[in-house]
This record gives sequence, C-alpha cells and structure tokens, in this order.
Amino acid sequence: MNKRAMRRGLTGFWWLTVVFLYLPLAVVVLFSFNASNSAARITGFSLRWYHQLLGNEQIMSAFSNTLILAVISSLIALVIGCMIGYGMYRHRHRKLGWLIILIYLPIVLPDIVFGISEMAFFVQFHRLTGMLQPGLTTMIIAHVTFQIPFVALIIYSRFVGLDPSLFEAAKDLYASPVKRVVHFMLPTIKPALISAFFLSFTLSVDDFVISFFTSGPESATLPIYIWGAIKKGISPEINAIATLMISAVALAAVFSLMFNRRRA
Amino acid sequence: MSNSNTLAVGRSQAMVREARHLLFTVTPGAAWIVLFLVLPSVYLMAVAFMTNGPYGLPQMPLSLESFKQLAGFGFLGWSPGNIYTLLRSLWQTFLATALVVIVAYPIAYYISTCRDKWRPLMLLAVVVPSWTNQVIRAFGWMNLLAPGTPLSGFAEMLGMIPPNMGLYPSNFAVTLGLAYNFLPFMVLPLYAAFEKLDTAQVEAAQDLYASPIKAFWHAVFPQTLPGLLAGVVLVAIPAFGMYVIPELLGGGKGLMLGNLVATQFSGGSNWPLGAAGAILMLIATFIGLFAMRRIGKRLGGGEEVVI
Repeated sequence: MNKRAMRRGLTGFWWLTVVFLYLPLAVVVLFSFNASNSAARITGFSLRWYHQLLGNEQIMSAFSNTLILAVISSLIALVIGCMIGYGMYRHRHRKLGWLIILIYLPIVLPDIVFGISEMAFFVQFHRLTGMLQPGLTTMIIAHVTFQIPFVALIIYSRFVGLDPSLFEAAKDLYASPVKRVVHFMLPTIKPALISAFFLSFTLSVDDFVISFFTSGPESATLPIYIWGAIKKGISPEINAIATLMISAVALAAVFSLMFNRRRA
Repeated sequence: MSNSNTLAVGRSQAMVREARHLLFTVTPGAAWIVLFLVLPSVYLMAVAFMTNGPYGLPQMPLSLESFKQLAGFGFLGWSPGNIYTLLRSLWQTFLATALVVIVAYPIAYYISTCRDKWRPLMLLAVVVPSWTNQVIRAFGWMNLLAPGTPLSGFAEMLGMIPPNMGLYPSNFAVTLGLAYNFLPFMVLPLYAAFEKLDTAQVEAAQDLYASPIKAFWHAVFPQTLPGLLAGVVLVAIPAFGMYVIPELLGGGKGLMLGNLVATQFSGGSNWPLGAAGAILMLIATFIGLFAMRRIGKRLGGGEEVVI
C-alpha cells in the first residue's frame, strides 16, 4: 500500500517535471500563432508572424548564416577530430596527458571566457595583420575549436570498442594505408562519424555566447538575431522564428528515436 | 651480429614511423586548439595585467589596476558592487544546483524503475528541450513570468511579489532559468548510476531491519554518488559562468560574474577589468573541479567521477 502510494507520487512528479520542461517551449509555439501582438493574451489564430518572417531579409540572412556556419564548421571539425581520435587510439599506450588536457580545455573553459578570449585575440590579430576580420570566418574557427573535442572523443570511443585484431586483419588484407582507410576504417566508424557530425551540427546551432563574441556586423546567426530582438523589446516575430527552431529540434528528436529503434 | 643490427634498424624505423603517424594524426587538432584557444587565453591573461586605454583597448604599462577595480576600488572610492556580483554568482550556482539535485534524484530513480522499452523515450523527453537554443528557452521563461501572466498572477495572489511587478526580471527567475537549463545534465549521470544499482544491497539492508532512510543512506546513496558528483560538475561549473540567463531573466539586480566580464568587452569597454574577471572565474572553476575530485576520492566514488 505504502509502496503503491510512493509509486503514484513518483509518477505524478514525473509528469509535473515534463510539464515544467516543455512549458516554456509550448508558450513560445502558442504565441507564434497569436493574432494580436500581445505577449500576454491570445486573441485568435493567425499566420501573420510567419508571413512577416519571409519578408524579413535580416532573418533570412541570419538563417543562412546559421546553416553555413554549422555545416562548414562541423565538416572541418569532423576531419580534424577524426584524425586526433584515431591518433589517440593508436597511440593510447604512450603518455598523452598533454593531449588529453588540450582536448578537455575547450569543454571545461566557461563559454564566456572562451568567447571573449577569441574576441580579444581576433580583434588584436586583425589590427596587427589586417586578416581575420570578425565575421563568418572567425565564427567558423571558434566553432571548430569547441567541436573538435567532441568529435575526437566519439571517434576514440568507437575505436576502443572495436576488436583490436580487426586492425591486424585489415593490415593483412589491404596493402596500402589509403586502401585500409577507405575500405576498412571509414566503413567501420561510419555510425560514429554520423553521430559526431550531428552532435557538432547541434552544438553549433545551439551556441550563442561564443558566436556572439566572435561575430561581425554581417554575420549574425538566428540566435544572435533573436537576442538582439529581445533586447530591443519583445517582438512577436521572435515567437515564429523560435517555433521554427523548436520544430527542427522536434524533428531531430523523432529521427534519433527512429535511429535508436532500428538499432535495437 | 648483422642480424640483430638489421632488427634494431627495423625497430627504430618502426618507431620513427609510429612517431610520424602520431605527429600526422594529432598535430592538426592540437595545433588548432593551441592556436585558437590556448594562445587567445594566454593573451587574455596578459590583458588583465595591462592598463585600460582610452578606447577600452589594453595598453602597455603593466599594472594591477584591473584587479583593484575588480575588488571594487574605483574613482569614487570602494564600492561593494563587484563583490556582491561574485557572491550572487556563487549563491545562484548553489541554489540552482541544489534545486536540480532535488528534482533530478527522484526523476532519475523513476526512469530507472520503468519498463525497458519506455526508458529511452523518457530520457529523450528530458534531454530534448536542451537541444533548443538557450536564448529561446530563456525567452520562453520571459513570456511565462512576465507581469500579467497566470504564473505572476498566482504569485501575486499568494503575496509573494508586489502587484504588477511580475516574476521576471528577478533573482528568482534566474535561479529557475538556471535549474531549467541544467536539469538534463543531472538526470543523465544519476540515471546511469541508478541503472546499475545493486539492489541486493538494498534488500540486505531491509532484511537487517534498516529503516527506509537508513537503507537509502547506506545502501543506495553511496552507489549513486559518482553519478551525483559528475552531475554537480556538469551543472555547477557552467552555471557559475552563465551569461545568457542572468542577462535576460535577471535584470540589473540579478547579474552574475559572466555578465560583469562580458560588459567590459561590449558596452563597458574595459578589457583589463573584464580579463581580470575572467581569471577570477577560471580560478573558481578550477577550485570547484579540484574540490569535486577530492570529495569523490574521499567518499569512495574514486575512479568513476568523469573529470
């Protein structure tokens, strides 16, 4: 009896927490369809904020900046992180403490310290050499920096999970290292490559602080645009953009669920 | 003789090849991080010891001026503003972490007791909100807590806040926002700990007539400790350096150290002061990490603590 009551209490607490987790997102979605521009009262259903989005050039450029930044930085991080992950695996018998510290540094460093160091560095570098003006390039560099560790750790743990004799077998089968990479290594770590790419992509789209401090006037991403709009005073359009971003996340969640089901 | 010689040559060639392999695979990434993170951080540290120039850019005479400013000494004598900001950061971090532990503990336990096929879905449900950009999530809370909303009305009715003020901006909104933001980071490691919980110990405790509280304290809690400590590291350290949530939900009186630092680089234009703040933040972060490690080792969590 007592146990059952506790069980019921836990179930209730679980659903309460779910409401807590989704309430702020639900409010944003709800108000994106609001007919009036009130942030407190729903007056009717309308799609006018979505129509306004399409006509807003700043938002469209912020959208494309977000995508370009996420794709390019993830691809660069994938190549570099993959190499480092393999290097860590192959040479795991050596003392690689310095490398581990280096790889954990971007993860441990508080976002804000990360962001302002990059900003201070890029601003001074630009003043001295005229290169690397704050903009998409500097943002890509900064994003790659925080993506590398995650890619490296995912790839490394995939290699560790493999049977070491596979590497011997591959050595016997394929003479050249290039063939070994193409026919053995890349296919075996494909799932890790895919998840590393998606993690990097999500980290990039999700990031605000580091982007904010490394961006230039022309390279605002969606989070930066939203931030600016909030600071200027709440505009109902924000709800519409935010809803689109939330939908993208929901879609990703469904995909990851399907992916997990298929593997199970 | 010649045989062992060729062997030695072969082995040294192999060693050279291995070293070259290590160099080839590791150099691009290591160089990237050194060039674009270590170097900028070192530069930032140096900035803290420079003087503030007319345009907020650091200038050459080295000084400890920025640290004095950080401690509160300005043109108008000493003011406690920055000290308050530091204390507020520590207090908010503590509150948010405690809140997250209180919520995450039963949730993680509950998930671990549900049916196998539901667990991945439940974990996903906990994690998915954190995939949304943190600016959007803070914006959602702004909408919920603004004056005139049902939640604010309810708080007014209970007499918790003066009329027409709303729950945001306030320190309370910051605590709530932080707890919301970091809840998944506590649930996941705790769940991992609960999942491999050795229930035999709990049964043994019950067989020996331990009260539920004693059974929990001696049989369950020590087993979940590594997960708990990992969660505290994952929550408290980023919470301490948080910028977005205090800036959006806190208003002028809810700012934390991250905001103090950021302002010096955007509006305030005092790079050395900002850099000094960043150093303070790093010191606090590393003290926190170190303390967690020590606690983990002493209480027997030992090797399993992630960092």
